[in-house]
Amino acid sequence: MNRLVNISKIEFKLLTRNFMNIFFALVFPSMMLLLFGSIYGNEPSAFYGGHNMVDVSVPGYIGLIVAVTGLMTLPLTVAQYRERKILKRFAATPINPVDILISQVIVNFIMTLLGIALLIVIGKIVFDLHFFGNLFVVTFAFILTTFSIFSVGLVIAGVSANAKAATAISYIVYFPMIFLSGAIMPMEIMPKIIVYISKVFPLTYGTELLKGVWTGGKLSSYSPDIIVLLTISIICTLLATKFFRWE
Amino acid sequence: MNVIEVTQLTKIYGKINAVDQISFNVKKGEIFGMLGPNGAGKTTTIECIIGLKKYEQGIVNVVGLNPLKDRNALYGKIGVQLQETSFQDKIKVKEICSLFESFYKNPYPYEKLIDKFGLKEKLNSYVDNLSGGQKQKLSIILALIPNPEIVFLDELTTGLDPQARQDMWKYVKELKEEGRTVFMTTHYMEEAEYLCDRICIIKKGKIIALDTVENIIISSGLETEIIFEAEQDITNLLSNELEHVSKFTRDDHKYIVYSQNDGVLGKLVYMLETKKISYKNLNIKRPTLDDTFLKLIDEKVEEA
Repeated sequence: MNRLVNISKIEFKLLTRNFMNIFFALVFPSMMLLLFGSIYGNEPSAFYGGHNMVDVSVPGYIGLIVAVTGLMTLPLTVAQYRERKILKRFAATPINPVDILISQVIVNFIMTLLGIALLIVIGKIVFDLHFFGNLFVVTFAFILTTFSIFSVGLVIAGVSANAKAATAISYIVYFPMIFLSGAIMPMEIMPKIIVYISKVFPLTYGTELLKGVWTGGKLSSYSPDIIVLLTISIICTLLATKFFRWE
Repeated sequence: MNVIEVTQLTKIYGKINAVDQISFNVKKGEIFGMLGPNGAGKTTTIECIIGLKKYEQGIVNVVGLNPLKDRNALYGKIGVQLQETSFQDKIKVKEICSLFESFYKNPYPYEKLIDKFGLKEKLNSYVDNLSGGQKQKLSIILALIPNPEIVFLDELTTGLDPQARQDMWKYVKELKEEGRTVFMTTHYMEEAEYLCDRICIIKKGKIIALDTVENIIISSGLETEIIFEAEQDITNLLSNELEHVSKFTRDDHKYIVYSQNDGVLGKLVYMLETKKISYKNLNIKRPTLDDTFLKLIDEKVEEA
């Protein structure tokens, strides 16, 4: 346990020393909020079912942050550690190499929380952000979404032959997913065909769930999303365990 | 006492036997070197011994432990430097050291090692900014944090400049003086000659020589060359009055005498002196480990 804390402390420092990680997890989502918030304002709109644009966007941007840490930072770091034989070097010590993976999950989870905190603070100060949900329900939805997206990231980390391949796969998964899952742009403005396509992205279910419970929806109304996210989590964790290579 | 015992070790990749039924022992306190061309199986052998690779056949015993089963106990007793390991981006020297320290139950304090290896001023530097030699020093420091009985060094000096290489040699000698056993692989014959008590040469996964450097050179059958110049024609003398000469060549005034016997030089000089034959530019070329290595590698190619 002590070891895991130690690894996580150092790995978190390393994470914050990389400008790209800070930018995409902290700065970029807040920038989106400031940009779209100042364009559309935070007034009730029939388009969002009577909700404010910002109040609906913030849970979407939470999905955006989860996608950055889970689909970019996590798999790219792990793939790089494998390619550069860092994992192998750790394997020649008494630690359980799985601890390295767990520590990556932990530090990326913390980074996600920081991104969300910043988003909420900015939302509150600049746009008078509202929260209509139940804190426990939203926390559950957030953890489930994170777990499911991170498990997809671990599969990417596990199957990609090298860091280049991981980068390619991450970009291919990440970019369509953030634009077409409702994380950045609301599903309400999407043409029908895109709505169908969006169903293949795990994040679509995550943002739908997050937006729903954030604006006061009941968990039970989102059981299909919950089932999909749970299934993805289980399948991807199994796949990651099965296909993960240390070298 | 043997601290490493390898019996009939075989590691198969697809259809190729990367390591093919090799057996050897490493004694406590010795520096044991493994030499071989690229792809001979040196790294694979090391990685099987230290439990990083599973093997198909054979028995490996390291300080009484099975590397595949007693992982935790083993990594408390051995230290490793792997070939081409790099470190995390933007990690500082003291961070990687304290990280490794936290992996072990009874670590050797890294500050002492940093002092000893002269990296004190680099504690707060990023590992990326270290020179090649400093990075290798760091690799050794990390290998020594467990305070190991055996240190494994895989191509420690590859790519280092001559000064850094000399430094590394000094440190490896010191490891031995501290009573540790060293198992190393290298491409450099002079390194093996200087450091290793015993070496084993492998080719295509098989051991083709295993002994002290001196014995391997002697048993290779390579001859010492005695080169000199003489005005007089002495072919008759060389053919008839000198023993243990396997052959000689003459090119104008220049003679080369070939022999496996070390005493020939003295006898030759004695003969030239007593017969009052003037000679100059006397030179002797003993077979080196380089010559021996190339001969052994070539021979095995021809056989195959």
